[in-house]
Amino acid sequence: MISVRDVSKIFNAGHPNEFTALHRVSLNLPLHETTVLKGPSGSGKTTLLGLIGCMARPTTGRIFVNELEITSLPERFLTEIRRSTFGFIFQQVNLIKGISALENVMIPAYPTGEKHSLLRARAMEKLGMFNLDMRAAARIECLSGGEAQRVAIARALINNPAIIIADEPTAHLDSTLSREFMGIIKELKSEGVTIILASHDPIVYDSDVADRVVEMRDGKVIKGGKRP
Amino acid sequence: MANVIEHHRHIIDFTLSSLLRRKGKNGALLLVYAVIVFILASVLFFSHALRREANLALSESPEIIVQRTMAGRYQTVPIFWSDRIRTINGVISVRPRLWGYQYDSVFQANYTLTVPAEHPPEPGSIDIGSGISRMRGAYPGDIISFAGHDGLPRSFTIRNVIDHESELLTSDLILLSDKDYRDFSGIPADQATDLTLRVRNPREYSTIAEKITRMFPEARPILRTEILRTYDALFGWRSGLIIVIFSAAIFAFAVFAWDKATGLSAEERREIGILKAVGWETSDILLMKFWEGIVLSLTAFLVGTILAYAHVFYTSVALFAPVLKGWSTLYPVFRLTPFIDLGQVATLFFLTVVPYTVTTIIPSWRAATIDPDAVMR
Amino acid sequence: MILNPGILALFITSLLISLMTIYAACHGIQILRRWDIASGSELQLILERRTYLISTIVTYFLAFQLVSLFLFIQTADSICHLFVGAMCAVGTLTVNSFGYPTLLLKVLTFIIAGLWLILNYADNRGYDYPLIRAKYLLLLILAPFVLAETVVQCFYFFGLTPDIITSCCGTLYSQSARGIASEILALPVIPAKILFSVSMLATCAAGMRLFLNGKGVYRLAALSGITFVVSIISMISFISLYIYEMPSHHCPFCIVQKEYGYVGYPLYLLLLSGTVLGLGVGLLQPFRNKKSLEHIIPAIQQKCAGAAVVAFVLFTSIVSWQILVSSLKML
Repeated sequence: MISVRDVSKIFNAGHPNEFTALHRVSLNLPLHETTVLKGPSGSGKTTLLGLIGCMARPTTGRIFVNELEITSLPERFLTEIRRSTFGFIFQQVNLIKGISALENVMIPAYPTGEKHSLLRARAMEKLGMFNLDMRAAARIECLSGGEAQRVAIARALINNPAIIIADEPTAHLDSTLSREFMGIIKELKSEGVTIILASHDPIVYDSDVADRVVEMRDGKVIKGGKRP
Repeated sequence: MANVIEHHRHIIDFTLSSLLRRKGKNGALLLVYAVIVFILASVLFFSHALRREANLALSESPEIIVQRTMAGRYQTVPIFWSDRIRTINGVISVRPRLWGYQYDSVFQANYTLTVPAEHPPEPGSIDIGSGISRMRGAYPGDIISFAGHDGLPRSFTIRNVIDHESELLTSDLILLSDKDYRDFSGIPADQATDLTLRVRNPREYSTIAEKITRMFPEARPILRTEILRTYDALFGWRSGLIIVIFSAAIFAFAVFAWDKATGLSAEERREIGILKAVGWETSDILLMKFWEGIVLSLTAFLVGTILAYAHVFYTSVALFAPVLKGWSTLYPVFRLTPFIDLGQVATLFFLTVVPYTVTTIIPSWRAATIDPDAVMR
Repeated sequence: MILNPGILALFITSLLISLMTIYAACHGIQILRRWDIASGSELQLILERRTYLISTIVTYFLAFQLVSLFLFIQTADSICHLFVGAMCAVGTLTVNSFGYPTLLLKVLTFIIAGLWLILNYADNRGYDYPLIRAKYLLLLILAPFVLAETVVQCFYFFGLTPDIITSCCGTLYSQSARGIASEILALPVIPAKILFSVSMLATCAAGMRLFLNGKGVYRLAALSGITFVVSIISMISFISLYIYEMPSHHCPFCIVQKEYGYVGYPLYLLLLSGTVLGLGVGLLQPFRNKKSLEHIIPAIQQKCAGAAVVAFVLFTSIVSWQILVSSLKML
């Protein structure tokens, strides 16, 4: 269970450009389910994903992941939780140019100090899941849009995370690639991975993968709940 | 433990590949860095080598030299002084010496002329240093002429060309006989350039020197240890002065390094953002920056030092010998004895790597503390 | 002042280090005043990020200080013949009254910086920054010593005037009075040997005890401190004699020279590490009851104690080996 309790996030507090991105949000997201955060841009979806994914800390309120309070942890502990628990898929593919697809997939695991050969084997396996093992040595610039998207997903999976967080994953994909992406998500879901997506793309929130859709606007949850 | 090593290995791998991906920027930095190390190392190695050459030469010189001054100016010493000085307890031997300098206006060179204590050449023949031999194209058996104190030329047969491990000090040397030298320089028969003393016990040096000045108030005794000290201070001071002047360049380099380190390109900023987002911690980025500094510093340091070594000991400081040497023009070719010690390397490290590192600490930290959620915005 | 490259390097570095320390201390004061772990404010986030900067600075400081310690001795040794009567670094350091204080401050700041890093290591493992106050108080203790070192070193260098020939007169202005004073007062050999063996044995025993069953923390810390002092005294009293194979050269510095195979470097490095680790164990003890560190501190103490024992044992082995192979025989 991921439980968000009364969380607010204020940027530039005390300055004239103070901005409340989230306003007293409370939410419970069970594990092994797929949740879609739906809402227009600026509604606070990304901020909420960042807070749940241990990327930043809320200004007030608390967040628990599996009963562990993550709100007041120092950055180095947050990073450790983020690395071991979460896998991230971003709006842009955010791969590092100039190095191979394989290295890109391995990067999140470098700080763990895992043995290089084991790490490499696992990265190949993840690439293999998406039929990319032939492209492992190719540089990022040489990949097609769809391949790059799948490399980014492989990277999110390298540390075998329990939770996948995806922020507007289909924003830069055409309809065919978007459907392909949802197919992958469905597969992951069937393996028991918890998935949290933020999107205002109907292909995502109308998909039958979503167990629950939470609607957000102006930093507040306006409608949320399990789908019938 | 194995984990820690593997962790460093991963980060070093990544650092190297990211350095290579930005060849232009890092290449420029490396070049400037290596040039700075090269210049400083050349100055240090060269002055140190000169100091050693001087020490080597002086190790055979007499314990005490007695000169005479008149009205504060240097004069020749009457030879009868030596008999009086020999009576002082502790003095083993006293020897009057004849030597001096001669300027050759044709070749624009300064020669050092000396009458050696042992095996002086026969009257009419001389030994010359390798520098003179090279310059005048004169070899054993040839006849060579020099203009004396009265401007009239005198001819000598060359007996030998002096070959010595310390070429710097013998390259301009001319050895000749007592008679020839007096004729050449015009020093009267009862006078000598100075007196050299051998003394058995080092503890008596100053007592003997004191007795000499009491005996001849115009005498000026000089201890070997004092000459060594003076040379040393002089060489150390010269290279120190150059480093002080050069510190402006070090400062400029620090500014350059600061600029390179703060001016992260958008691409680099994005990369660090990605790394942090996917699970790298601030200290991992700092570690990456640390290795980046190590790789750059080590490369620049090695390249600069090796080039400086070659520059000093193989090309004889072709680039800036005039600044450092500067007391005579006749040293066309000479080789210094290669010598480096740990202290010099540590000094070099402190003058280059430390300023570089200090200037990059804050920029690295700034880069490392980019928000992990920056890539999501 | 002598414009020697080594002196200039030390001078510039100590200025840079002082600047860094002042910078770190200013941030340290702000952390002490404004720290609030419960707050989610941006200021707190900024302060937490500064802790990374400060620990980076102190880590570099430790490394630089170590090199500077050796360069200081090396430089003192290399310029000794500029001073009448000085035979090695000992003579140079006694040229004016700031030489030894500089050296002492260098050693002291090195040890404090080492202790700070041990504290930092423990703090980084607690999830609520348990040692943040202690850490930054220690930083504020360290800073004045660093500044003092820079100032004293400055005085020392500016006070160095070489005895060189003046143009008008020769030798008479050299005084040979310094000759005897430049030797260090040394403890007689036999008491020093006994003291050294007893303190080393006691420290290693205490370290082993702590390593095996976690007891005797303060004992190890106290003994490490004592052993450090005793080892330096022994170095002067008898260890150096064996290394030089001369019955009267009581010099703790010449052993870093090439003639003696640079044996001084590993010796001092091991002695300093052993001391910092041993003292660090004691420094952590008062914080053992912090909730977030109850399991972490004993583990760190155990590691440090083990490492300290290794360092001291290696130190003693090198010393014993030097004594065994030495041609000098004493009781």
